[in-house]
Amino acid sequence: MARKPVARKPKARKPEARGRGPAPGRFVETAVEVEGRTETRIVEIPASEPAPWTDAAPLAVVGARVPRVDAEEKVTGRARYTADIARPGMLHAVFRRAPIPRGRIRTLDLAPARAVPGVYDVLGPGDAPEKTRLFSREIFYAEQPVAAVCADTRAAAIRAAHAIVVEYDPAPFAVTFEQAVAPDAPKVRAKGNLYPGSPIVESRGDLDAGLRAADVVIRREYRTPVALHSALEPHGAVAEWEGDRLTVWESTQGIFRVREHVAKALGVPMSKVRVIKEQMGGGFGAKNGAGAHTYAAALFARRTGRPVRCVNDREAEQTDSGNRPATTQRVTLGAKRDGTLTAIHLVADVPLGISGWEGGPGQFYHEMYACPNVRTEETFAYVNTSGMQAFRGPGYTEGAFGLESAMNALARELHMDPIALRVKNFAERDPRKNRPYTGNRLLECYEEGARRFGWKTVNREPSTVNRKRRGVGLASQVWPTGGGPPAYALVRINSDATVEVLTGTQDLGTGARTVLAQIAAEALGAKLEHVRMIIGDTQSLPYTGNSWGSMTTASVGPAVRMAAEDARHQLVEAAATMLAATPDALEVRDSRLIVRDTDRTMTFAEVTGQLGDVMIIGKGSRGPNPPDVAIMTFGAQFAEVEVDVETGIVRVLRIVAVHDAGRIINPLLAESQLEGGILQGLGYALFEERVLDRTLGRQLNANLHDYKIPTMADVPVIEAFFVPGADPRANHTGARGLAEPPIIPTAPAIAAAVADAIGAEVSEIPLTPWRVLEALARG
Amino acid sequence: MRLTVNGRPHEIETAPAASLFEVLRARLLLAGTKIACGRGECGVCTVLLDGEPVYSCLTLAAACDGAAVTTVEGLAPPGALAPLQRAFIAHDAAQCGYCTPGQLIAAHALLAANPRPADDEIREAMSGNLCRCGTYPKILAAIRAVAHGEFAGLGSAGGA
Repeated sequence: MARKPVARKPKARKPEARGRGPAPGRFVETAVEVEGRTETRIVEIPASEPAPWTDAAPLAVVGARVPRVDAEEKVTGRARYTADIARPGMLHAVFRRAPIPRGRIRTLDLAPARAVPGVYDVLGPGDAPEKTRLFSREIFYAEQPVAAVCADTRAAAIRAAHAIVVEYDPAPFAVTFEQAVAPDAPKVRAKGNLYPGSPIVESRGDLDAGLRAADVVIRREYRTPVALHSALEPHGAVAEWEGDRLTVWESTQGIFRVREHVAKALGVPMSKVRVIKEQMGGGFGAKNGAGAHTYAAALFARRTGRPVRCVNDREAEQTDSGNRPATTQRVTLGAKRDGTLTAIHLVADVPLGISGWEGGPGQFYHEMYACPNVRTEETFAYVNTSGMQAFRGPGYTEGAFGLESAMNALARELHMDPIALRVKNFAERDPRKNRPYTGNRLLECYEEGARRFGWKTVNREPSTVNRKRRGVGLASQVWPTGGGPPAYALVRINSDATVEVLTGTQDLGTGARTVLAQIAAEALGAKLEHVRMIIGDTQSLPYTGNSWGSMTTASVGPAVRMAAEDARHQLVEAAATMLAATPDALEVRDSRLIVRDTDRTMTFAEVTGQLGDVMIIGKGSRGPNPPDVAIMTFGAQFAEVEVDVETGIVRVLRIVAVHDAGRIINPLLAESQLEGGILQGLGYALFEERVLDRTLGRQLNANLHDYKIPTMADVPVIEAFFVPGADPRANHTGARGLAEPPIIPTAPAIAAAVADAIGAEVSEIPLTPWRVLEALARG
Repeated sequence: MRLTVNGRPHEIETAPAASLFEVLRARLLLAGTKIACGRGECGVCTVLLDGEPVYSCLTLAAACDGAAVTTVEGLAPPGALAPLQRAFIAHDAAQCGYCTPGQLIAAHALLAANPRPADDEIREAMSGNLCRCGTYPKILAAIRAVAHGEFAGLGSAGGA
């Protein structure tokens, strides 16, 4: 049969490159943005990367609304979480924690704990390697671990932890920003109460000139609370030593980072530490490395020779497992009569807790609008409370509440439609670093959102007669979602034609397993049900980074695609021989190879059956990011609320969300991500707030009854959409990240709707009945 | 004490203070039921006790003598999927999946008592089961679908 010469796109990999070491010049610097921080990495350029999947690419599996590949395990109870890991002979570890926020241990008697039946070991001050930072005699925050016990049952360990006798010499403490920065403030920690470099100032243009040029200047002060991640599966680890090798099962967003932390803290080689994570009950940013529980489990396991489990109880999870820090944001906006922003000024105070990083609200102020004169001054202070951790959209979520609330106030001041104000100040380029975007459809998000919400048609006349008043509002969002290297994947085709994707990433419940399987199936031409994801094990899988910063799809997806394309090319070469065709004449789809324009075809199983134990293994890696571009996800959310002006209770009736995240690999799962982010944003707006007793420095709501997260009864009508369109300039899958963006604009959109409903602004979240009534009283 | 779990009778010795959750996990090795707060605030550990949904973390095992318990493992025979399970899969009503067993049990109890609940009745009945991933809209849709007769009958596991 005649074979037509068909022009095809170049092969994904030059055959001559196979099996050789990197050629000179194959390593380059690339910039990777992680949650607003830019890191420079030296990475290998893949020998050849696949051509980008543009909108015109004929994709069948990518973009399909298919169920989660691990859904069946989850609905049958078969899914195994770290908290489910039970090893033969396993012991249970429990911490004793300090009840005071600052001071020193005066006396500590561990003997009563050792006497409790079932107790195997006790650890106190001086018993843990210094790098674990465990069991210091000096107390820096309430609930700091001072000792730990391991026993054959959890109940015995709890009894023994209670039996430890500790006396403290309390010392003056600071648990608020104001206390920490006061002239006579107590020393929060050994070295200074301010985060190094505070206030951190970032500036573009000339703020004073911008304010002088303004026709209208508004000044506001906004406050956001400490919010708690509240993952339903607490932080936890199970550790087991075999000789000098340590295995850790950990509920984590980063198996390789846990490995690094454990190896460093315990002084063992990284190659001796294996970290495993199968399923995980949520992370939201708080599970990005090893923690006290990990170190305690590993130390006890080494000392006792037994596997040891250490899982937080709910109180520990709500007090000492990370939080989103509070902010006070003093915002000044200057604008022309037509809404053109001339100046944005932020002065922010952020109490970090006893540790943390400078992921503050300021970045959002620099990135959201095309204002020429922007200045942010952020002061980060350490305080005697448990340290912060990244929490979904860290910094940007807080910053959006400040800036977007101020923009809505400005719109009211200018008697301008808040959408028109935003469109007026739309950034054509990344205004922070003056570089082009790979893609930005924010204007379409406004337009589409307004249309679906009925922005112009909703009755916006505030009622003064009804007890229940309705209002509407909106807010926007930006978030860096480019992802980047390093990330690696292998794709192997087994002799039974099943496909396994091996990559050292993790699925937090986001759906990474599913979207990566879809990418592999698409690139390989395999049926999705034949593809199995093998992830979450540092020992057997190639490296990928943490699942943070909405990075996994954009980082690991291209590596998986490349590995699958590599495997496909090898399979095609093998099948070409069997089908007496040239590789170029073969098409691959639905786990079948077809000689184009003929009826000659073979299934994967027929090819692998003939190959026998000859195995096809494809390799892929994530190439560098394109230079000097901004890779961002955008969106706008619209809220409609009903406020009971007698009780102050706010009920959210409806949220319409439209985001631009490039190609959506799986619309069903992406929609779930949007809904989940919106509901966490709704909790942040209405209920969630860590409450401290400021005289004792201790938390008052360390449980899920008093720290209120949304329930099904709180759920409004949510309509969540993406504007369609791939972003082939971001990476060759055309997908950007989307997990964190949806939480960012929800709270300011709801707050704007409340202001619209009651005719008064509530400048502090959560929008509790008390605060709403206060705002009403002020008028 | 005697306990029938997922249709199978057991004779169990239990510590006086042991919770039903502990007996299910430690004694009967049924790991499908999860725990998240251990103090009756979140509903993650929900199981059916003589047909009624209870928080197994707060239920004293010794008080369950002679009772019948259903866990997520008992919603369908091995290899099969109950209508709710298939609806949860199709509607993506499990994100991380940690609260899912409890959600399924609570939904099962709701539909047993009220086969055609209105949306507000679903919200009310399910509001004792927290989900931090915010899967509620999908859970609501899945329950609504089953109440409307979709997914009727047992389906087979494996690519439902």
